[in-house]
Amino acid sequence: MMTGEKLRFDPIGALEERTSAVDAQVLNAWQRHLGLSVPTGAAILAVGGYGRRQLFPYSDIDLLLLFANDKAAAAHKEEISSFLQQLWDAGLRVSQSVRTPAECSELHEGNIELSVSLLDQRYLAGDAGVYGTMLTKLPRFVHGQRDALVRHLSRMTRERHARFNGTFHHLEPNIKEAPGGLRDLQLVSWLAQIAGTTPQAFSGLVHLPELDDARRTLFALRGYLHQQAKRDSNILTFDAQEWIAELMGVEETAVMRGYFRSARAVHRSALGALEGEEARASSLFAQFRDRRSRVSNADFTVARERIYLRAPQQLAAEPELALRLLQFVGRHGMRLSLEAEQKMATQLAAVRQYFAAPRPVWPALVEALSLPHTPLALRVAYETGVLTALFPELERIDCLVIRDFFHRYTVDEHTLVAIQTLVELRGAQAPPASAFAGLVSEIEQPGLLVFALLFHDVGKGSPQEGHIDASLRLAERAMERIQMPAAERDSVRFLIRHHLDMSVTMNGRDPFDPSTARDFAHAVGTVENLKRLTLITYADISAVNPAVMTAWRAEQLWQLYLLTYNELTRELESERIEEADSPEQTAFLEGFPKRYLRTHSEADVTRHMQLEQEGRPRGVAVALEKSGSVYRLTLVTGDRPFLFATVAGTLSSFGMNILKAEAFANRRGTVLDTFSFADPLRTLELNPTEMDRLKATIERAVLGRADVKQLLRSRPRGAPPSRKARIEPTVHFDDQASQSATLIQVVAEDRPGLLYDIASTISSRGASIDVVLIDTEAHKAIDVFYVTAEGRKLTPEKQGELQKALLAVLRG
Amino acid sequence: MKKIEAIIQPFKMEPVKEALKNIGIDGMTITEVRGHGRQKGHKEVYRGQEYNVDLLPKIKVELVVTDARLNEILTALTTAARTGKIGDGKVFVYDVAEAIRIRNDDRGEAAL
Repeated sequence: MMTGEKLRFDPIGALEERTSAVDAQVLNAWQRHLGLSVPTGAAILAVGGYGRRQLFPYSDIDLLLLFANDKAAAAHKEEISSFLQQLWDAGLRVSQSVRTPAECSELHEGNIELSVSLLDQRYLAGDAGVYGTMLTKLPRFVHGQRDALVRHLSRMTRERHARFNGTFHHLEPNIKEAPGGLRDLQLVSWLAQIAGTTPQAFSGLVHLPELDDARRTLFALRGYLHQQAKRDSNILTFDAQEWIAELMGVEETAVMRGYFRSARAVHRSALGALEGEEARASSLFAQFRDRRSRVSNADFTVARERIYLRAPQQLAAEPELALRLLQFVGRHGMRLSLEAEQKMATQLAAVRQYFAAPRPVWPALVEALSLPHTPLALRVAYETGVLTALFPELERIDCLVIRDFFHRYTVDEHTLVAIQTLVELRGAQAPPASAFAGLVSEIEQPGLLVFALLFHDVGKGSPQEGHIDASLRLAERAMERIQMPAAERDSVRFLIRHHLDMSVTMNGRDPFDPSTARDFAHAVGTVENLKRLTLITYADISAVNPAVMTAWRAEQLWQLYLLTYNELTRELESERIEEADSPEQTAFLEGFPKRYLRTHSEADVTRHMQLEQEGRPRGVAVALEKSGSVYRLTLVTGDRPFLFATVAGTLSSFGMNILKAEAFANRRGTVLDTFSFADPLRTLELNPTEMDRLKATIERAVLGRADVKQLLRSRPRGAPPSRKARIEPTVHFDDQASQSATLIQVVAEDRPGLLYDIASTISSRGASIDVVLIDTEAHKAIDVFYVTAEGRKLTPEKQGELQKALLAVLRG
Repeated sequence: MKKIEAIIQPFKMEPVKEALKNIGIDGMTITEVRGHGRQKGHKEVYRGQEYNVDLLPKIKVELVVTDARLNEILTALTTAARTGKIGDGKVFVYDVAEAIRIRNDDRGEAAL
């Protein structure tokens, strides 16, 4: 990236030039002051960056004056002083140390830097014999003290990284000290040198070809910075970014993209090298024992908390391994070993080629995206290139810089941080996050949200297009390729299209103006959509920078959620469908709440109408299907007392756990009930014939040919939860929420048969259930019933009676 | 010199910033605050639990201006922040004894 035509200054060439120029000055001073008076027993060495011939403009000059013994050094104090004086007078900033060969091969706890700096030593002038003495001792010393040197470097590095919060994502980075900076680059090369040194031979500078690009970029940036500031200045300020971009004839974002890419490569390499060395230091026995780690499987082995591939060329032979790797990391929360990373890097082309063709990837992917360590899995896959091999669309946001006041991260990092925020919300105990934690456990497919977040900003890499439109287009391509089911695609489209809407509403509209919640409720349509969008918004805002999700802002978001939630669950009674596309449709839909259309697709409506047709001869029709881990039952029949309670009870008698339920009634008396339920004992999965038996039993129960009480009796009740987990039941009546019905909200400890008990209690008091919304939040059931008696709201007496009866049932 | 301290609705922050920018004012301090005046809080029921929202999120805007521009700025600010309903907020104006630009020790209006 450093080859713009406007380049007036060659920062890489300047290093060599300055090194040679300084060499000449040092030699001259040496000849004048020390060379003649100390012909033997003394030598001068370049160390540090100067030793490596990487002398940046205005950098310090590190020199080592090597004397055969202390006495010789003391005897020539004055000459040393004049020697240094000449260099200072010439404008060089010199830092020097005076040592004997013996001191160079001892470990001084307080001054390990000296030992490390010797790794870069370069002979300049003086007695070659003294230098030779030092050089014969050095390999044995470095080899013998390998662990101590590594420990020291490791501690220094970790402390330095901590000063920068462990991240290379800084808008105005210090390109020397920050993670991924020049010090890390140096660290990698020192560790390689230490590892390559045998007792007999000292390893010289180690060339690391994989970091060539990063080195060139960082060197050039530092060269520019020093040249411009006329001092050792390493902070890439906004101003500096501007004029460096101008010098190179590129955009400022290109300068920063180049920097971030380099920093990321260097940071990863530094961490990998450190971890490799730290791991090596532990005993072989521990490694042997650990290799048998319980979690190892047919694809991967685990040693010292790192993942290894069982067969080195496995990824190229079987690219689907990439998905299993995501799952493995997502489940166990471990990173890859350096060895596995390196092997995988060479096989990415095969992965990319394999996944470029349409394949049924979604089931495995959504599983990987729903695991406790999904954020780490995505990070590992992204850093190794596996994720972009799966989804090349993500390359557009690779290290993409958004230059504004608020964004701390590049777009790819923002995306990963957002996903991490979402997944970590689940366990949040402290406000403001805790309010949102409940929502995470309530949504049906958390993996879908992760997928939507992964793509929500990919469009930022296509600035000529609107960012949301571009994100949608790219997500569409990816969803097609991985053969995501239609319903899930709709959800992803919805989330990407609307991912900024809550922020915009929060910041731009009066939350207490009733039209705000009403308009927003119409825009999101369903409670499930609202919950998903709220979580996406929370994650997206939090990932802009670590300070932006203040308690204040979280409160605003929660308030909008709350008002919209109440709007969605209460306005539904007042808006009824009056007319549809065709006369047949109108006949079927007339009188259903409008929410029915928002929660069901055109295909659903057609299927429901067919179901009604089918059910006519028998008076009932039941459809049952599996979607992910949840079963959905749809029932169409004529209205009759106890209908809802009957179905709920039958499902419970089969051991099914009802998660959500809704009841709709149209004007001509057709009732459509939908139940989502889980099958905790896997009865239906393990016994395929049970699906048919369940359907048949429900039909019989609805037609009054099977007794639900009898069915429920044959099912043993589960043990009550511990006292501590008990939830005191509440029954809340609301006459204002709807124009024609009384709303009853029941919150109680969830248990098998609960819904049956509540519904049959309501029905047994002569009330009819018009609409039901069932939700469960861990052990807590939150059920909302819209109830009428003889077509009107319940009288206060009836409410009092029903409340008593319900509480009696709920308290058991 | 006067210091203006305005407590406004969060959703009026952008319009207020824009209105001030239009008359050449772009230096201000903005703080996220909570409070209530006559608007008081209100009550929401969520899943059987009552949520009392007694301290409402507000935005505090602070800026120091010259005496000559005070009225013009106040007009721009209040017009932009007004919905006409309870909860629009309040503006307070204080006298400022001195202003110093730390960088070069400019004093008084020159420091604004």
